[in-house]
Amino acid sequence: MLGVNWWGLVLPFAYLIVLVGSLMTFSSMYRKRIAAKSANLAPWFPPHLQKNVYLSLLHLEPAEKSPAVPESILRAALLRRAVEDIRRIIEIRSAKQACSTLLQRGSVGDDLWQRFQRAEKEMEDELRDVVMEANALGPNWGQTIFQSANEIAAGTQFKTRLDEITSQTEEEKEWWEKRRASIQSEFMKEIENEAPESPAKKIGGSVTTDDDAVLVDSASNAGSIRKKKGKK
Amino acid sequence: MDEETFTLLPLHMDPQSKAITSTSTSRALQEELATLNSLHRALLSLESPVPPPPIPVNPKRSANITKLRESGNNEFRKGKHAEAVKFYTLGLQMALGRPPWEPSGLIRDEVAGLYANRAQAYMAMSSWVEGAVDAEASVEAKKVGNAKAWWRKGKCLLEMGRLEEARDWVGRGLGMEGDESDLVALLKDIEQKAAKKA
Repeated sequence: MLGVNWWGLVLPFAYLIVLVGSLMTFSSMYRKRIAAKSANLAPWFPPHLQKNVYLSLLHLEPAEKSPAVPESILRAALLRRAVEDIRRIIEIRSAKQACSTLLQRGSVGDDLWQRFQRAEKEMEDELRDVVMEANALGPNWGQTIFQSANEIAAGTQFKTRLDEITSQTEEEKEWWEKRRASIQSEFMKEIENEAPESPAKKIGGSVTTDDDAVLVDSASNAGSIRKKKGKK
Repeated sequence: MDEETFTLLPLHMDPQSKAITSTSTSRALQEELATLNSLHRALLSLESPVPPPPIPVNPKRSANITKLRESGNNEFRKGKHAEAVKFYTLGLQMALGRPPWEPSGLIRDEVAGLYANRAQAYMAMSSWVEGAVDAEASVEAKKVGNAKAWWRKGKCLLEMGRLEEARDWVGRGLGMEGDESDLVALLKDIEQKAAKKA
């Protein structure tokens, strides 16, 4: 009844064992290689300078005569770190949409997406870390540190733009002085040239009065607007 | 968190001034430390150990800025434009000198108004360059709902004879503000001048 011929099954079983064994070896090796590759991928962001400063201050050895680092400096350093985090969060958020679209279309490789996801995860850990540190440095500071950091980041960006604009003033002024001088000299020349001819040219005269009228008109126009706006 | 790796930077603290310095020659690090030290000084001037949340704002500074702006407006109405510029400049210094953690939207609002008014005062003195720069700064602070500033820079450019730039600028302003009648009129002016020149 159960007279199975075990010896006859040896060959199929051996075949199965070899097959499954080789498949498993291949899969484990393949996965290891992928993992090693993604570990070697370049990080999304450059090294976090502010974080390094903060942690270095935290680990600063109290030297012979200098006292330990006061907490106020640590607070300032942590705030700087939070500001940099805000900048990175904004960068990640704005890149996410573009990145996923590009990935779906196949325009970018898997590598980029992996780097991106790792950066996202790191950011989450970083935020949690900062909140914990903030709570340790001040009562309930963790709830407001990122609000403050957000304002600092936005304010700094705005001020740099403003500085860029106001720094043009000198250059523009120089240009305008030159330009005005050249306009004036041209104008003088024109007057000198035209002076002897003007009685003969009546049409020319009428044109200039026309010009004057337009000028006056636009000036009065401007005046009305200015008055209207000055009342604010 | 100590399991995390980080780069230990060569930092030192001055025992008296508590200023952090570094022997490193990295420019980024030196700049970062300078900002850190100034932020630290700002933090020390607070009564609370940590910066307060952005809202509510301390009303004292806002009141001062409003007062300076009002004084500027008064001088302007009296025709003392140089005096008005002085008041607006003081107001700007005060608005930009707010502690950095105060709401940046508020700073933008105040700065936009002050720059726009100063541009107007400069224009009244025929200082077109300063007027143009101030108007541009005002627009940078507040892009929408700031037709006055758009108009003023356009007007300054027109006065300096930079017709191409003026046309571009007013065109952009119209894109932002919708069909604001003053801007449309200014654009017409510019087109007329350009046609005459050609």
